[in-house]
Amino acid sequence: MPGVQLRILAAILALVSLIVPNLGRPARAQRSAISTYAITNARIVTGAGPVIDRGTVVLRDGLIAAAGANVSAPADARVIDGDGLTVYPGLIDASSSLGIPQPTPAASPSPGVPAFAQARQPASGFSAPNSGQPPGLQPELLAEDLIRPGGDAIEGARSAGITTVLTAPREGIWAGQSALINLAGDSSQQMIVKSPVAMHVGFTPLRGVYPGSLLGVFASLRQMLLDAQRYREALQVYERNPRGTRRPEQDRSLAALIPVLEGRIPVVMYVDREREIRRALSLAQEFKLRPIIAGGLEAWKVADLLREQKVPVLLSLNFPRRTAAALPEAEPEPMRILRERVEAPQAAAKLVAAKVRFAFQSGAMTNLNDFRVNAARAVENGLTREDALRAMTIWPAEILGVAAQLGTVEVGKIGNLTVTRGDLLDRNASVAHVFIDGLPVPLRPAPAAAATGIAGGTWRMNANLGAADVAITLILSQEGERLRGSIQGPLGSSDIANGTITPQGSFRFTAPVTLEGQSHEATFAGRISEGQMQGSISIVGRSPGTFTGTRAEAPAPVDGTPSVLSGNWSVTVNLGGQDIPGTLTLNQQGGTVSGVIQTDLATAPFSGGTASGNSFRANSSANIQGQVVDLVIQGQTTGNEISGTIESPLGTATFSGRRQP
Amino acid sequence: MTPRFFVRCLLLSVFCTVLVPVALGQASRPAQTGEILIRNATVLTVTRGTLPNSDVLIRNGKIAGVGRNLKAGTNARVIDATGKYVLPGIIDCHSHSMLDAINEGSLAVTSMVRVQDALNPTDPDLYRALAGGTTTLNLLHGSANPIGGLNTVVKIRHGRPIDEFIFPGAPPGIKFALGENVKRSNSPNLPGVQRRYPNTRMGVEEVLRDAFARARDYKLSWDEYQKAVGRGEKNLIPPRRDIQLEPLVEILGGKRLVHAHCYRSDEILMLISVANEFGFKIKTFQHALEGYKVAKEIAQHGAGASIFVDNWGYKIEAYDSIPYNAAIMARSGVNVSINSDSDERARRLNTEAAKAMRYGNVSEEEALKMITWNPAWQLGIQNRVGSIEVGKDADLAIWNGHPLSVYSRVDTTFVDGEIFFDRQQDLARREELQKERAQLEQAEPNRPPGAGAAPQAPQRRRRPADETDIWREELEQP
Repeated sequence: MPGVQLRILAAILALVSLIVPNLGRPARAQRSAISTYAITNARIVTGAGPVIDRGTVVLRDGLIAAAGANVSAPADARVIDGDGLTVYPGLIDASSSLGIPQPTPAASPSPGVPAFAQARQPASGFSAPNSGQPPGLQPELLAEDLIRPGGDAIEGARSAGITTVLTAPREGIWAGQSALINLAGDSSQQMIVKSPVAMHVGFTPLRGVYPGSLLGVFASLRQMLLDAQRYREALQVYERNPRGTRRPEQDRSLAALIPVLEGRIPVVMYVDREREIRRALSLAQEFKLRPIIAGGLEAWKVADLLREQKVPVLLSLNFPRRTAAALPEAEPEPMRILRERVEAPQAAAKLVAAKVRFAFQSGAMTNLNDFRVNAARAVENGLTREDALRAMTIWPAEILGVAAQLGTVEVGKIGNLTVTRGDLLDRNASVAHVFIDGLPVPLRPAPAAAATGIAGGTWRMNANLGAADVAITLILSQEGERLRGSIQGPLGSSDIANGTITPQGSFRFTAPVTLEGQSHEATFAGRISEGQMQGSISIVGRSPGTFTGTRAEAPAPVDGTPSVLSGNWSVTVNLGGQDIPGTLTLNQQGGTVSGVIQTDLATAPFSGGTASGNSFRANSSANIQGQVVDLVIQGQTTGNEISGTIESPLGTATFSGRRQP
Repeated sequence: MTPRFFVRCLLLSVFCTVLVPVALGQASRPAQTGEILIRNATVLTVTRGTLPNSDVLIRNGKIAGVGRNLKAGTNARVIDATGKYVLPGIIDCHSHSMLDAINEGSLAVTSMVRVQDALNPTDPDLYRALAGGTTTLNLLHGSANPIGGLNTVVKIRHGRPIDEFIFPGAPPGIKFALGENVKRSNSPNLPGVQRRYPNTRMGVEEVLRDAFARARDYKLSWDEYQKAVGRGEKNLIPPRRDIQLEPLVEILGGKRLVHAHCYRSDEILMLISVANEFGFKIKTFQHALEGYKVAKEIAQHGAGASIFVDNWGYKIEAYDSIPYNAAIMARSGVNVSINSDSDERARRLNTEAAKAMRYGNVSEEEALKMITWNPAWQLGIQNRVGSIEVGKDADLAIWNGHPLSVYSRVDTTFVDGEIFFDRQQDLARREELQKERAQLEQAEPNRPPGAGAAPQAPQRRRRPADETDIWREELEQP
């Protein structure tokens, strides 16, 4: 009776979507009912013609209605006095993963199983339904299906003056297809300007499965493109002659590559070094793809080739820099690294000189205020102010095919404006107003006064990067949402950079680590709760690793007694009379419990739950059809049986199940 | 010297001084397509004996003359090599230099991967190899699986784009591997972890036979498709192109050279028998630590052996080797080469060759052949490199003493007649580099932030000392 089941499920989902929007949604409350705005007496840098020293911009119904020196504010407009302010086209970040949640972390480390074994489990990541390919090799993934509106990261980007981003999942080889989104709106549908924009390709191997190395990455890309060519041919033969031809087996992954092969969708390839860029271009040439280089640290070294092949670059503003002092007895840093740090801010000017098209992007920087600051550094290194602004406005709009709607302050374009006090490219300029789709958006106030927060202090971390565990000491200080500190241990000692933490305890920072004598930039992303931390370590070009940590002063977790909760459980969730199969993973560490419950409907990770005896309780949230629903999960075990409830604003579901052997 | 030439030289030198600080270390060498005359050296031709007080004339990247009192054009650059030795560029038949990734260890058969996709032309180890007189490398996939990836033979044109490295016309090859690395004997056996098949030497043989059976079927499916196309059948969907099986079809057709990592005599015989069954040839047995036990069988198969001279005992399958391995195999008619399998050894393969003379009384010429002509034959490039003969590529090095002496060093290394290493230039450049470093360290992005914690001294760069470690590295860098 699968049809009936589906219909019941659909009914439940419909019910969910009816209820959920009525839950507290502050974002909507902040959107104004006024639809016409006028910024008067402002300096206007339109990006399309000379700068207007004193003029007015009118926004109406989401679009730019007028802009000029002799424009006056309409009677129904809310007027903002722009005296001392400068109006720019809304800034575009040409490559980001903003709005896309971190994929569910891999099942939390279970006691007793060595970290090595856990590292061999397949990489976590987003997964497309009914895909014939493993996560990480699913070109059919669409960013538009993953985007969640609102949140700190989006607010942070807007506060930095960014109105529009090209967003795509960051992990994976075929990472999926990107969407260009405006950073305001209550739903992903409202945010999307264009989707899909491009196919995104990363060259980072998967973990524990093929392809597990750069070699395999290229082979699997090549094989899938060949398979897609054949799939296309087979579909054509079948369409011409449906009778008498065996129908080609449906394959959504290969189907998603057909527009790529036909050049209808460009391919954004994340590559930085000269050799990586050359490899990417040669793969693109082999299959006649339309490549766009993202990252592009050494793109200037390949400038001639990029110009000849008309390949644009999404140039990262996340410039490398030294993050720690060296011991006197330390070996000197390689010249290559020293040169690279000096050359990075010069790259933009060199690309202009070489007539290579490019646009700036944030390059996974955590503090997006660096977006503007580092564009200013590019100006200090030879880029003209005009070109720097173009690289954040009209050039990305052109490269991404939306120059008719975005990128300049011109009548009829989308009402995205960034308004600053002081010149945008002065380091001490501040963002005064941001308009998106014709409406002002709230900006985040300056960071709150110092507070130790949940992260401050000394942590003992266990990092696993493929082989043995490495013990690291992490010293953190938290100021509002910013993290500072240092790591020490066998991976080297250095300051962390780009550290942020959300009030919920999700944190992220980067730090240089030394592996086999070579220095890499590692991104640590994870979650802190109740004195425990866990998360993942990503290093470009290597398989991801994991880490766990405890507060140095906290008592060690209770060991030795086997946990009655920890393990993998097969469960059946009963929701409104409907049984949904799923799995529950629990990991008990003394009095705390973390884990994840997964069903076809949703995945709900949790950590920091409480465990006592044979029962546990944890708070979680799940994304159900694009809506985030808060959940309280509680349960108890009896031997190999487990049962419990999942409470949500939508009602309560029950579950029961058995321990997996 | 004509005045015009003088002006050109002047302009060139001005240009170079301006350019060099910008492009230091990379591609700052002007292209040398003209004539070079190396005068009055002891020329170790390898194939035509040792020629005292002789000249080597290089023209357009090729060896244009070898002999006494050669005449060159007026514009030729003349290098006085009195008291010095000229040796063909050393060829390293087993290298993992300049690879950003070595092993795709996730599967037992990874013939779909190719090291050409992971080349790093800026690897400093390449410069060090040039400084040791090495000019050609056989870049091999690691030994994590029975059928590994496709190899690439390169000339060390250090600092140039990848395209310039690829050895023109070198026959394509592939890495196979047998024994402990493949069956993962030396990797930890963890509870709850599925070990990758195969786990025994029996399994290794089965993987090989299965792969070639599949390759045969694959070829058959394409042959049938082509026949159907030939018959004019319409609406055909071609078979799937399988880049894993295509190289195996090439092996069956004799179009791809097999370089097989092996240790024990029994597994060498096993591979010969599988090759005979499927009708293909092994081109080289790599390492072949017990090759001396089955030297006649290797010679009869027509394969070469590319070995370490005196490196053994680092794992169980490496216990039964002897330093006379090279001599015994050579005497049995096996083409023997000495390889590095290491960025470090690649700088001093000359002394490795000298060891072969110490053990088993290999002749001087035969020892030199083991690092020049023999590996050239093993890679199918013996018509281009491996000896100093007129018409061959001008890949050679000038040594300040006999290359088989530990006291000798390389003065100048040529690839296609271009200088890619020159000791005098290297020494002269050091001061300049120091100045650049001082400048760079003062630049803002290279200065540490104020409160930066002092880091520990970085770990020494650990590179594999032998291929066992290549295998371990695969675990560390999955």
